[in-house]
Amino acid sequence: MNRTLSFSILTALIVFLIGPFLIIVAASLSAGDTLAFPPQGLSLRWIVKVFTVESFRDSFIMSMILAVGGTFVALLLGVPAAYALSRYKLPFGEAVSTVVTLPIIVPGIIVGLALLRYLVVPFSFSIGVALFLAHTALVLPYTVRVVSSSFNNLRSDMEEAAVLLGATRLGAFFMVVLPNIRAGILAAFILGFVTSFNQVPVSLFLSGPGVRTLPIDMLSYMETTYDPSVAALSALLALMSIGIVFLAERFLGFSRYV
Amino acid sequence: MFQNRAEALALALPAAVFATVIFLVPVVIVLAEGFRSPAGWTFSAYTNFFSEPLNRLVLVRTFKLGIAVTVVSAIIGYAAAFAIVNLSASGKGRMIGLISLPLMISPVARTYAWIVILGRTGIVNQALQAVGLSDEPIRLLFTETAVFIGLLQLFLPLMILSLISALENMPKDAILAARVLGANWFQVFWKVILPLTREGLVVGGTLVFTGSLTAYITPAILGGSKVLMLETLLFQRVTVANDFVSASVIAFILIAMCFAANLLLKRLATARNKR
Repeated sequence: MNRTLSFSILTALIVFLIGPFLIIVAASLSAGDTLAFPPQGLSLRWIVKVFTVESFRDSFIMSMILAVGGTFVALLLGVPAAYALSRYKLPFGEAVSTVVTLPIIVPGIIVGLALLRYLVVPFSFSIGVALFLAHTALVLPYTVRVVSSSFNNLRSDMEEAAVLLGATRLGAFFMVVLPNIRAGILAAFILGFVTSFNQVPVSLFLSGPGVRTLPIDMLSYMETTYDPSVAALSALLALMSIGIVFLAERFLGFSRYV
Repeated sequence: MFQNRAEALALALPAAVFATVIFLVPVVIVLAEGFRSPAGWTFSAYTNFFSEPLNRLVLVRTFKLGIAVTVVSAIIGYAAAFAIVNLSASGKGRMIGLISLPLMISPVARTYAWIVILGRTGIVNQALQAVGLSDEPIRLLFTETAVFIGLLQLFLPLMILSLISALENMPKDAILAARVLGANWFQVFWKVILPLTREGLVVGGTLVFTGSLTAYITPAILGGSKVLMLETLLFQRVTVANDFVSASVIAFILIAMCFAANLLLKRLATARNKR
């Protein structure tokens, strides 16, 4: 392929993929009252406003709790399961791996609806708890997948050697295996965090008074208001994601795991 | 490989039970609801659903948009992936970084940008009026085109990344050999590149297709109630009409389509490995 052609293809591609994001950043710096590009004057008022909107603050905290807590629980469930799948002759191994990775294939909106109708309503579960469980189930496949590949890349004679040298099985796991897959677990955590934090369909039906994730809050805000605050919030969230990915790439070569 | 079965089960069971109780069982009950009536098992929910013209329209539209986004992203994807694998190592790394970046950004934020671009006073309308192509703003938002553009931007990176890894695994001399033997570029693509990168195309295609079928945010923001897709229709049926039976039918259609796409993926991937 000749150089000019390849250069123009890639330029057009980057404009299409990244351009809209830059426009959002520009629009969020506007001094005007409505969403517009080019921005009407420059100011930080909308960026500042984002931090003063109470519902954004509450839903941000909610999303953080779901993303951090849900991913943590998913790791507690997923790491042992991944270990069993890669190191043991597990009875019904195929079925186990299918059921834990299924939530990736089934659309989230259906999971949300199912939990609302058959967990929240009949057992008077709180919506917040159901939302937490739904986010955990959603993240579980990612943790199992990423951590499994770490286990598979780690030679199993290491823990066998540790056991032969007198360590207990549990001791061998915590002192030999875990330190070696630390990067994989961190990668799974970041992937799970981002997936949960950006997730919308699962949370659609699992919203109630005081229980609302940030993306859902943004969707309902933009339905009623046409000011640049959602743009400002979008820009801030994007910067947060970029920061996380940048740090992850810097410190563990994140892209190897995803 | 350890042999202790009890230990293995104790490790794997919590995750399996969790996924079964929190996810599998409720979803299966939702799906079963579409086949139940006071009189017993029935398909009446399905015949009712398909007799409604709006529902048929939404189903066809969802399928059509899914195919269109997949095909267009494959075409752009090949051109882009081909240009990228021919870059220097550092250039390639930078491009892959730039292409993966949007994947980490909230889809709400990414989709919201198109409102600024395609809206009544958006950039496209400003440009059209400035050049004199149009006297008044054209409605671009809440059209199928807007949803198509939004979906394409959302999922294109997945296709490009799959195709990059497929092209990298392809023997470098294959193209040169075909060229030396007199094939034109069209033949090179059709007879050499396509068969050798089929697996990457199938992986990317499945991700893009199922992603588009099950998209909620893009049709909700850029399509509104004018351009409903299956997920936005499902949401509307439940919130506006409390119609859980139609919701179950839509859920079944969505799951069936996703499973079919994933099965196809597995089939094509293993067919390749056997040879």
